[in-house]
Amino acid sequence: MSEETIKKGLADKGVSRRDFLKLGGLLAAAMGMQLPPLEQSGLPAALGTPARGSQIEQNILHALETKQRLPVIWLEFQDCTGCTEAVSRSVSPSLENLVLNTLTIEYHETLSAAAGYQIEQAKQDAMKKYAGQYILVVEGSIPTDNDGAYCVIGGRTAIDHLKEAAAGAAAIIAVGNCAAYGGLPKAKPNPTGAKGVWELITDKAVVNISGCPAIPEATTGTIAHFAIFGTLPELDNLNRPKTFYGKTVHDRCLRRPFYEAGKFALSFDDEGAREGYCLYKLGCKGPTPYNACATIKWDQGLSFPIQSGHPCLGCSEPNFWDGGGFYQGQSTPLDKPTVAVVGAAVGVGAALGIGTALVNQSKKKAKKGGSK
Amino acid sequence: MNQQTVLEFARGPFFYFALLFMLFGLAYRLFSVISLGWSKNRVPNKGSQAKGVFMTFLKGVLIWPFIPWVKNTFTRNPLIYIGGGLFHLSLFVVIILGTPHMLVTKSLVGVQWATLPLPIVDFMAATGIIAMLILLVNRMIHPVMKLISGPAEYLAWLFVFLPMITGYMMTHHIGGSYESLFTRHMITVDVLMIWIPLSRLSHFVFYFFSRAIHGQEFGKRGVAV
Amino acid sequence: MSTTEKAMEAFVHETGSWVAAQLESCTRCGMCAEACHFYQATGNPEYAPVWKMELLRRAYEQRFTLVGGIKLSLGLDKPITDEEIAHWGELNYEACTVCNKCSMVCPMGIDIGSLLHGMRAGLAAAGAIPADLAAAVTKQVDEGSPLGMTDKVWDQRLEWVADEWEVEIPRDVKGATTLVVFSSIEVMKFPANVAAIAKVLNKAGEKWTVSSKAREIVNFGFYEGSEEHTKLFLNRVLDGAKDLGVKRIVVTECGHAYDALRWHAANWIPEASNFEVIHITGVLGELIGSGRIKIKPGFFNDGGKITFHDACKIQRKGGHIQEPRDILKVLAPDAFIEMTPNREESVCCGGGGGVIAVKAADPVRYASFELKIDQVNTVSAKTVAMTCSNCRLQFTDGVDHFKLDWKVAGLSQMVADALEE
Repeated sequence: MSEETIKKGLADKGVSRRDFLKLGGLLAAAMGMQLPPLEQSGLPAALGTPARGSQIEQNILHALETKQRLPVIWLEFQDCTGCTEAVSRSVSPSLENLVLNTLTIEYHETLSAAAGYQIEQAKQDAMKKYAGQYILVVEGSIPTDNDGAYCVIGGRTAIDHLKEAAAGAAAIIAVGNCAAYGGLPKAKPNPTGAKGVWELITDKAVVNISGCPAIPEATTGTIAHFAIFGTLPELDNLNRPKTFYGKTVHDRCLRRPFYEAGKFALSFDDEGAREGYCLYKLGCKGPTPYNACATIKWDQGLSFPIQSGHPCLGCSEPNFWDGGGFYQGQSTPLDKPTVAVVGAAVGVGAALGIGTALVNQSKKKAKKGGSK
Repeated sequence: MNQQTVLEFARGPFFYFALLFMLFGLAYRLFSVISLGWSKNRVPNKGSQAKGVFMTFLKGVLIWPFIPWVKNTFTRNPLIYIGGGLFHLSLFVVIILGTPHMLVTKSLVGVQWATLPLPIVDFMAATGIIAMLILLVNRMIHPVMKLISGPAEYLAWLFVFLPMITGYMMTHHIGGSYESLFTRHMITVDVLMIWIPLSRLSHFVFYFFSRAIHGQEFGKRGVAV
Repeated sequence: MSTTEKAMEAFVHETGSWVAAQLESCTRCGMCAEACHFYQATGNPEYAPVWKMELLRRAYEQRFTLVGGIKLSLGLDKPITDEEIAHWGELNYEACTVCNKCSMVCPMGIDIGSLLHGMRAGLAAAGAIPADLAAAVTKQVDEGSPLGMTDKVWDQRLEWVADEWEVEIPRDVKGATTLVVFSSIEVMKFPANVAAIAKVLNKAGEKWTVSSKAREIVNFGFYEGSEEHTKLFLNRVLDGAKDLGVKRIVVTECGHAYDALRWHAANWIPEASNFEVIHITGVLGELIGSGRIKIKPGFFNDGGKITFHDACKIQRKGGHIQEPRDILKVLAPDAFIEMTPNREESVCCGGGGGVIAVKAADPVRYASFELKIDQVNTVSAKTVAMTCSNCRLQFTDGVDHFKLDWKVAGLSQMVADALEE
């Protein structure tokens, strides 16, 4: 199945030449494609110049026409399937739908029709057949406490499954905050010892498409990038593609002017909230998380949390569950001492202070007595 | 250890420690001073001490800063007066009327208030930074300031300046990613909080004593202060 | 015990919460330098008030605080040396009048003058006092007066004043209400002031007296900063008052004596609070205000402009700011003109705090007097009135030194001259 080119696969699905051309443009735009990744792709250098949108589109189209479809193995561990939902629940013919169609998903617990021994066997076969070629997508965090006993599939632990699949993968993509950084399962007190993929797989680059859920276009765009160029996109220090995670939510936020002007909503039902003022005082984490929410949005660019009136939770950042209250400001300390602790500190300080003063007083008295 | 971990440390345990250390240290300093013993002043008053205290706070805090030319210190040495005044005004605007700082107080004690738009706060922050630089230069070249300044004075300057400059850089996204700027700001703030009880920066606690003493002394003598 | 030890002991003794809280609140902003006439006149950074009290601060830090102890053990601060004590002795006795102008400009409101008095206590304990000041103190201990006004001299001078100005000076009158204690500066150098005060009080019908026991109000122990000497001299006055059974003690035109007796005596000697202590300026204001004496309006209107010099201990630290002005506005409604700055912000004459008694201080004393010359010349006054003989001594000396054509006048004398018969 995967021997046919992406273009042929699309044509078989009834995608016209016109739609195929549109797809090229969409992909280029979604990936913010510039020259460097093109050079990395190994395509003839002549194709890369001049660096104009149309030219890049041509290159992408050329790649789609010539490259073979990619096999994908999609593993789910401690997850909520939200990222799968986000990627799959799209209106046809959407970008993600098309990209999904260009792939051959060999294993996906939610989407595969088969189950039990059959699907496990299919996965083993696929890993053998496409060793060194398939893309491994991971959704959900991996529990490591008690030898991984908290997540067992087909009698084997999640760690086992992951390490086995990672060994033969051409690329590993961790989708969603759980797979990337541990997400909700890792939140304090982290009962299962949950970890992100890149904490366990250290011999291969892991691309983190963080978010809760990850923005579908970020997932599909990254897969498409690998499908087309055969390389991973440029990553930031948290291994997130810079294309999607290069700017903070705050940087691109539609409510940003209100922040600058000092106009804030103070509660969810006040005049400020109705006027669409900045949600910073309601605990919006916008300034720190890097994500493309404000530009790509969800549901075909319909909306994103801040637009719909809810402060950003910072779901694209590690440990966002433990990063202070969701409705407390970005600037606030993560932990505050209780009244009792403050009282104790002040009390001990005061007691020591009084003690010092008494010692000093006795010095004074001794001196006073001595001089008379 | 990545940036995020350092930031969490600076916003979390380090801040927690610094805050407690500051409160502990200030309590220690305050009590070691006020428990040393106050001798009763048995001299009969000529004027009212209470009135003197009231007037001196009124003038010192509310009036003189806004009509400086009535003070001959201002006419003799406007630099320290304006520089010091603007610096403290800047601190007030940034720390009390800056939104992110108000939210810190809100999260700690649960009280919130209206804040100023960012451009105004930002302007005052820049003013404070410039004032501090001018005061530093003055400290380095003025003969009196040179004489009375040692490492303690310069360290205190540095530990106050760092949070201000990192805060400004953070607002303007200069010199790194937002989290690294945020991290630097938080670390310098934490260091400042630790340094406050160890240095003269604690003067804001003792100010109320010396100002009250001034009011008492002059009020008692029936001199307007 | 070493010199330094004696000083440190005195510093420690001086430092209670009152002093410590103020030392702790100092931010070393250096603003006080701009208030000091000695710094203004000479530009010597060591004359900054904050620097003059440096040893008091270091003693506090080293002996009382954790940080000070750590600094000492790390070698960041050194123990105070005898040389430093001697050096600060010079700074404090030669270039400080304890006029407390610095307190007026301190943004923290620190009562720097009082802390500098604390400095003097330590320096005095260590004997780091200029020889001429120390000699004057010894003279007051032995003879009763630093200016050599012994019993006999006092007796003769008052006799002479009474004759010369034809005034009655009641002596040792038991049961009098008011005890007047003159300063030896007045008795020896400005006898007309003695006569004037006697004339005014007689005119008002006051039941007053002088005491042969309490004959000197000047207190060089207070200049020196020695509690022991200060108390000794205060007790002489108080004993005299007790013997005669008076209700109040009037301090004549002497600033620091008023400061010591009015604002400090009760804290050292509890029975001092049995007496009402008032400065002659207050008495004059009271007598004129209640109509017990009448002065001729406009009496001094025609002799050129008259300005008033506020003394540190009588106006800024004594509160008698309004009375002299009320009187001058009657005596010279058109000629009276204010200097700037004035009242509690006034610039010191430069001779107080014992500075005028220290020969080595002459250059800075004259230099700082030039600030006063500028002030007076700005309003082109021909007469400078004041209520303090110490200021008056400095003015007379300054006028002489700089060959100025002003008249220096004591307020009591002006009032006496303008009395309605």
